[in-house]
Amino acid sequence: MPKILVVDDEEHIRLLYSEELKEAGYEVITADSGYKLLERIEEEKPDLVILDIKMVDYNGLDLLQDIRNQYYDLPVILSTAYDTFKEDMKSIAADFYVVKSFDLTELKKKIAMALETRLP
Amino acid sequence: MAFYEENPRNISKADIVVAIPSFNEAETIGSVAEQAGAGLVEFFGDLQGVLINCDNHSTDGTKDAFLKAAGEVPKIYLSTPEDQRGKGNNLRNLFEKVRELEAKTVVVIEADVKNLAPYWIRNLGQPIVKGAGYVCPLYVRHKYEGTLTSSLVYPLTRCLYGRRVRQPDAGDFGFRGELVNQFLDSPVWTESIEHFGVDIWMTTVALNARMPIYQSFMGSPKIHRVKDPYAQLSVLFRQIVSAMFDLMAVYSDFWRMVKWSKPTALFGMDAQEVATPVPVEINMNKLHERFLKGFDDHFALWEAQFDQTHVNKLQEIRSLGLQHFSFPGQTWARILFEAFKAYSAMQGEQRANLIDSLLPLYLGKVLSFVKKTERMSLQQAEEYVENECMVFEENKPYLVKIME
Repeated sequence: MPKILVVDDEEHIRLLYSEELKEAGYEVITADSGYKLLERIEEEKPDLVILDIKMVDYNGLDLLQDIRNQYYDLPVILSTAYDTFKEDMKSIAADFYVVKSFDLTELKKKIAMALETRLP
Repeated sequence: MAFYEENPRNISKADIVVAIPSFNEAETIGSVAEQAGAGLVEFFGDLQGVLINCDNHSTDGTKDAFLKAAGEVPKIYLSTPEDQRGKGNNLRNLFEKVRELEAKTVVVIEADVKNLAPYWIRNLGQPIVKGAGYVCPLYVRHKYEGTLTSSLVYPLTRCLYGRRVRQPDAGDFGFRGELVNQFLDSPVWTESIEHFGVDIWMTTVALNARMPIYQSFMGSPKIHRVKDPYAQLSVLFRQIVSAMFDLMAVYSDFWRMVKWSKPTALFGMDAQEVATPVPVEINMNKLHERFLKGFDDHFALWEAQFDQTHVNKLQEIRSLGLQHFSFPGQTWARILFEAFKAYSAMQGEQRANLIDSLLPLYLGKVLSFVKKTERMSLQQAEEYVENECMVFEENKPYLVKIME
């Protein structure tokens, strides 16, 4: 069962993603900030990370660079309330992005695609 | 080994090499060597660096301009024989020299760059020192600069090999020294790769070696000697597309496995100032004329090689006229896939004719891109390119199917 790490400082988003993604057959773990995120990834070895771009104390795009530099192939999906982040070129280090919504159809589609990129 | 070598300081080992391929570049190579040397000293001062000019037996004084360039970094001059041209042949000499020097990091910079700054050497070399396998630059480009890359090389490379390398055929790059073994042992080495096809060949070899690829943001456009883009286009197009098709044939086991695509790691995102690219003017009437002329010259070949659905679609596109011109990404992707299938079954002149027949279609695709993006910002146009790449990825199963 693929393991997904959801990083978001909004509790209702973590709950929503956890419930729906568990129902969709994924194992889900969560983090409420970017604090010690790389250590968490090292410990938990998730198959995919869903990363909020704007957290109170952390810039998701900077965290994305740290993840990509250390875990070259780990899929990361950016989760955002607005798509203005695309003006920042750092965002191209993400596999995909989704605009936050209560309908997770798009997110689930992107998760499936990102997991399909894994090569034997 | 190179046909000719001058190594005034008898350098036999190096940690990092900056190589400058050339052919008759006396006017600019001196300043390129000085800037590259300054970059080695400023950013890699604790490593043993060397500058190598790998030349095509230039007759304009390139060798002297290079060897006399100011700077403390040692220099080596290599050359092919007089009758052997092409950047690819220069780079083969480089690969052998890198192996002999046991260099860990290699940066290649073209000899005609006019705005090279020392930090370029850092941006292309530092990721390698930190563990990357291959580094492609991300130059600031106007939306209509590098249309062959945006419309064909990038989407096709990305959908085949699964990495989003935006400028995979840029002439400047960095790579891990051990990759020279992959380059020298590559099963593909053709006349096209000896010339313009060598840049995409190197990136493709690195992708297939599953090396960690970085893209390094250069913060500026690349300014080099002005060339007439139309004068060389047919040669450039034929060499790059045939190099890509030859690589597709050899690496089919790999690209059949690849689904969708992944990003690369990035470097240089801390650039404080980002230059604005110079606008590129596109003559839409000329593109349209050349697209239409393609029907007179190549329609019989298209009918023979492409699926009837796509032939019909091309006729429909022709009927649209300039004002409503639009060339859908799906048609373009599938025509390229079918062209590869046809190319695989052909030899020699037939292959050249097939690729030449794609040129007016490519120009039509550029016209469509210009019409779709003419009111868009650079960022919006970039998003359009990304969407076109997704169309290639979505249609890749069609390629796999027709090649079964």
